[in-house]
Amino acid sequence: MIEVQGLTKHYGSVVAVNNVTFRAEVGAIVGLLGPNGAGKTTTLRMLAGVLGPTSGKISIAGSDLLESPLQARACLGYLAETSPLYPEMRVGDYLMYRAAIKGLKRRSRRDAVREALSSTHCDDVIDIRVSNLSRGYRQRVGLADALLASPPVLLLDEPTAGLDPNQIREVRELITTLRQSRTILLSTHVLAEVEAICTEAVVIHRGQLVAHGSLQELRASRHVADVALVVRDPDRLTPAICTELGWGLRPDAECAVESPSVEPRETLRFVVYPEHLTGSMGSKLEELVAVLVKRGVGVRGITQVSRALETVFAELTSETGTFAP
Amino acid sequence: MTALIATLRRELASLWLTPLAWILWLALLLIEGGVFASIVTSFATNPGLTLDVGPLQAFYGQSVFVPLTFLFVCPTLSMRAFAEERRTGTIENLLSAPVSAAAIVLGKYLALLVSFSVLWLPTLLYPLVLRSVAEVEWKVVASSYVGIFGLGAGFLAIGVLCSTMTRSQFLSLVLSSGVLLAFIVLGIGENVFDAGFLQAFCSHVAIQSQLMETAQGIVSARRLIFDGTLIAVPLFLSVRVVDSWRWS
Repeated sequence: MIEVQGLTKHYGSVVAVNNVTFRAEVGAIVGLLGPNGAGKTTTLRMLAGVLGPTSGKISIAGSDLLESPLQARACLGYLAETSPLYPEMRVGDYLMYRAAIKGLKRRSRRDAVREALSSTHCDDVIDIRVSNLSRGYRQRVGLADALLASPPVLLLDEPTAGLDPNQIREVRELITTLRQSRTILLSTHVLAEVEAICTEAVVIHRGQLVAHGSLQELRASRHVADVALVVRDPDRLTPAICTELGWGLRPDAECAVESPSVEPRETLRFVVYPEHLTGSMGSKLEELVAVLVKRGVGVRGITQVSRALETVFAELTSETGTFAP
Repeated sequence: MTALIATLRRELASLWLTPLAWILWLALLLIEGGVFASIVTSFATNPGLTLDVGPLQAFYGQSVFVPLTFLFVCPTLSMRAFAEERRTGTIENLLSAPVSAAAIVLGKYLALLVSFSVLWLPTLLYPLVLRSVAEVEWKVVASSYVGIFGLGAGFLAIGVLCSTMTRSQFLSLVLSSGVLLAFIVLGIGENVFDAGFLQAFCSHVAIQSQLMETAQGIVSARRLIFDGTLIAVPLFLSVRVVDSWRWS
């Protein structure tokens, strides 16, 4: 379990991370999202004990990282960004060394190393020098290092960076299987990765936590629905009607063409926000269509657009904050 | 303790897997061997040479090359200790592991100390060679090595501290060489200043004087305390610097 309370980090006058609070339970795979410079890596490095916070509390598997640093660090496996390794060492020797400094007993080190290498499909490079490894293998050896000693908490900074598609799939599968008895926090830019393997997401923007929850909750927190309507005469539709209905007309409605065969001006996007949904979605849609037909707009087609995490992420981290309803 | 030993072993392997330590070893043995050969030749070809010291004392205590070898051996050995870890980012793996800063610093330092001792080990052959033609005072040999080891240990600790201060190995080398050079220069002050505080201070930190004393079989508490301070203070500061990285 990871528990973070009021985590703040200042670099001089610059506030890199500001009062971040969240909690991740055992079995969760939490995606740490945010644009470049949002404070993701700083947050992850503070959780790994590499960087001390200016203020706030971090608890790793029940141990306070600041009060019992060694105990807390013994409970975590950390894959740093770019997976730094010692180039002159052989993979097996490197992992044996890491097993030793992580406090594994001499008798169990060899088995732990074999298991970690097997999990990350690196068995074949055990005798190869790190300097001769490809980027993908280096990443996987870093991951094997994080898995040594079976820590209950895994912190992974861009775990699939530099891997080929097959390796990405394997690492994602591995991470998914590891979640059973662990809490996994991974930082990534790849939103598809978060959608593929994460159960929750924490979104950080300009050092501040802007959203935390399951992926479904995150999507729902922005819009209950997003509907694309093909209409005969969009000019008859005024924003006032939309506001009256409680539906938002997207500012980029005219650009939201789902298919190039459809005339741009004939397709309109509507989004509904949770605060505007009083009844069921079905009745809301009926209401919308009825009003549009009554006003002579003419509905020729209706499609419910899936809200991709990417859109939610863009809205959460856009300069203006959110799209107005 | 396990982490300390693991760090020590890794550092040793790392040092001796790269050509650096081997090149240093070769250079040191060439210089020291050449100096020793010339001293012995000088004593052998000048039977009338009446000095109050023998060739071994001259080699360990009076040769200016012994302190000069500290100047390139200690900074070169220690320059990569932390600078390289920070440059490549491997320090993150160390700092996130359940190991204290003291264990990391001591593990690295002890590896350097072992390597330094290995570099000097072959010079033990010199008195063994000399024994076949002359009488060797083993007490003097032992005290000479106490002097060399004590100063080397102190300078390595300074090198470790300098290595914590920068991400560049070269800058670390320049920094620690500068500090060592300052000690050598201060030592000259022993013969420059009139009796007083400055002369006493310079005498206290003079490397050459310590080597001359130990080469005569004198191991004084004053020198041992000086060496101990030279080891303890930089290592303590190194631990503090490593800890401070978490708060920078």
